[in-house]
Amino acid sequence: MMEHMGLQPKIKSTVRCLDGPIGEVSHVIADPLTLEVSHIVVKSNGTERQVPVETIRSADENTVELSCKSAQVPEFPAFVRADFLSSKEVEIPHLEDRIHAEPGEIFVPFPELERSCARRTFFTGFTTLMGVLIGFPFVWPVLQYVMKPMYAPFDNRWWKIGNTSKIKQEDIGVQFTFKKSFRDSVLQREEDKNNWVVKASPATLKQIYQHGDITFTDNVGNVVWVNRATVPYVAYSGKCPHLGCGYKWRSHKTRGQVFLCPCHLSIYDVAGTVLDGPAPRPLDVLPIKISPAGEIEVIDIEFKAGKREQVRIA
Amino acid sequence: MNALFQQVYDFVEERIGLKTLEAKLMKEPIKGGSRWAYVFGSVLLFIFIMQAITGMLLMFYYIPSADHAYASTQFIIHEVDYGWYILSYHFWGSSAMVVMVFAHMSQVFLWGAYKKPREMVWLVGLALFGLVMAFGFTGYLLPWDQRAYWATTVGVEIMDKTPVIGDFLARFLKGGPTPGQMTLSRFFVIHVMILPGALMGLAGLHLFLFRSAGPAGPFRGTPDELKAKTDFFFPRQVWKDIMAMGVVFLIISTLALIEPVQLLEQATPDPGDYHPEPEWYFLFLFQLLRWKVFSGEFGQFLGAIAIPGLFMLLLVALPFIDRNPERNIFKRPIALLCWAVVMIGITVLTVSAILNREFLD
Repeated sequence: MMEHMGLQPKIKSTVRCLDGPIGEVSHVIADPLTLEVSHIVVKSNGTERQVPVETIRSADENTVELSCKSAQVPEFPAFVRADFLSSKEVEIPHLEDRIHAEPGEIFVPFPELERSCARRTFFTGFTTLMGVLIGFPFVWPVLQYVMKPMYAPFDNRWWKIGNTSKIKQEDIGVQFTFKKSFRDSVLQREEDKNNWVVKASPATLKQIYQHGDITFTDNVGNVVWVNRATVPYVAYSGKCPHLGCGYKWRSHKTRGQVFLCPCHLSIYDVAGTVLDGPAPRPLDVLPIKISPAGEIEVIDIEFKAGKREQVRIA
Repeated sequence: MNALFQQVYDFVEERIGLKTLEAKLMKEPIKGGSRWAYVFGSVLLFIFIMQAITGMLLMFYYIPSADHAYASTQFIIHEVDYGWYILSYHFWGSSAMVVMVFAHMSQVFLWGAYKKPREMVWLVGLALFGLVMAFGFTGYLLPWDQRAYWATTVGVEIMDKTPVIGDFLARFLKGGPTPGQMTLSRFFVIHVMILPGALMGLAGLHLFLFRSAGPAGPFRGTPDELKAKTDFFFPRQVWKDIMAMGVVFLIISTLALIEPVQLLEQATPDPGDYHPEPEWYFLFLFQLLRWKVFSGEFGQFLGAIAIPGLFMLLLVALPFIDRNPERNIFKRPIALLCWAVVMIGITVLTVSAILNREFLD
């Protein structure tokens, strides 16, 4: 236990004046700076009064002797609860280590400056306002900062992906991978990209172009390219329209040769139509150009997966 | 030496009240006594601390850049002394975390410990569950191999299906329309800064709320029986906790030893022969999305967002719906049935996802 010089009157001790007992100690009042008892609260005839410790002549286990007469006691100020804070209501480090007041309480004076309710409301409002004033200008720059790369413009460059001579047969899926080099943040990177090209039979071509020519647009809606049914080659984006995995050309035990996505088992026929599985739309056709020498060029468009309609994102 | 220690102890005691702190931390009475069933929370804290330590060690060598992430991870595995062990411990530690979260939540659910007055402990616990899953998801991308790339690609596409904010959320996470360096940077900062900060804060709050509400104790027994068996957190519960931590440490280390992390090819948008698949604890969701009922745009929203979202909402609402103070699981048939259905459902879906692998090759 800590050494402590201050007076520690016992709660419930009998309080005696020079001329006899007048009541008992009900609480103590502490000085919040020195952490020492400044007053005892004396309960006498149902009234509580603040008696300064200087008035205490002596104190032992059961009794506190005051150096005044009982007639003087009513001159001590009454203890008004609202003018004080209990040690449970404030944070004063070590106060309770120093002074023990059970079964009563330790009180400290309610600071004069803390009593005005109007100013408390004002300060609450002012603090909130300042918080908003600091935070608010920060929102927009932060939002712009994190959003900077999120809405990059579409890339409408044409990429050479291979030669039609690789395709030996009509209506089969042939994978064309190519190296796509691009600037990614500050890096110059190269990725393997993967598209599928089909040399379509007239029936397949009819199926693919059932709604007429296929038009591709940029961010603002300008037409970038139109695929026409006169070109028998069709390129599909390698990204599965279900959730963006890479699908493959596989033989299926009942459906023959199909495009199959190993992730969630979507199955598409050679015209890209969904035969089975969870995919919401057919495979995505890409803008395609075939040179007289058979060089295939595509725009590596990317559509959002999982939508019934195509939503271009890159 | 002892005298010096005593001096230091007294010095600190005088200033911050160590004895009170010690009493508050260690002398928490456990109604009905310490039990092995109560180890999960402490074990989770242990796993998290080990993940933080191994994670920091990995950052000594890891380079979060799209052209070096893969190579630096390979460097950790193949060239740094015990790099394979630190990485594999971190990898298996994440699985252990998920297993332990399920065990912890199950225990709390079965014991009825989410009920009044512990609703807030349960709510913060659910947030922590979300953080653990987010840890798994973001950490998975960092080695930048094919497995990482595709799990992220599909995972982000799933989040894209969230109504209203989906598109923003997906672009925010990817740092652009397609996965690349920005995605890696963002996942990295989320994994090593944002989530650990959030987890430490919320885990602290979780513990504070738990200590404020007090442990629930067993669901059977008269007050006298419970009182008779009551002991303090220290030493018997701490002893059980540390034993469980030892076992978990051994299991994770053994897994790291016999099944160390091996990377696939470097990440690229061409999957080659690889069949993309998420980490095992997301397999049930992955398998669910293969179902015909969850096909098309709406079906997908149903399977990927609505059902998991509603399930989480149900867990949030649980202590407010289930207001019956009965905690004995054998007198709560509906709760027991629900728990069994969820567990069996997750198991069946996970196993069928694994069986499905064979048909793909």
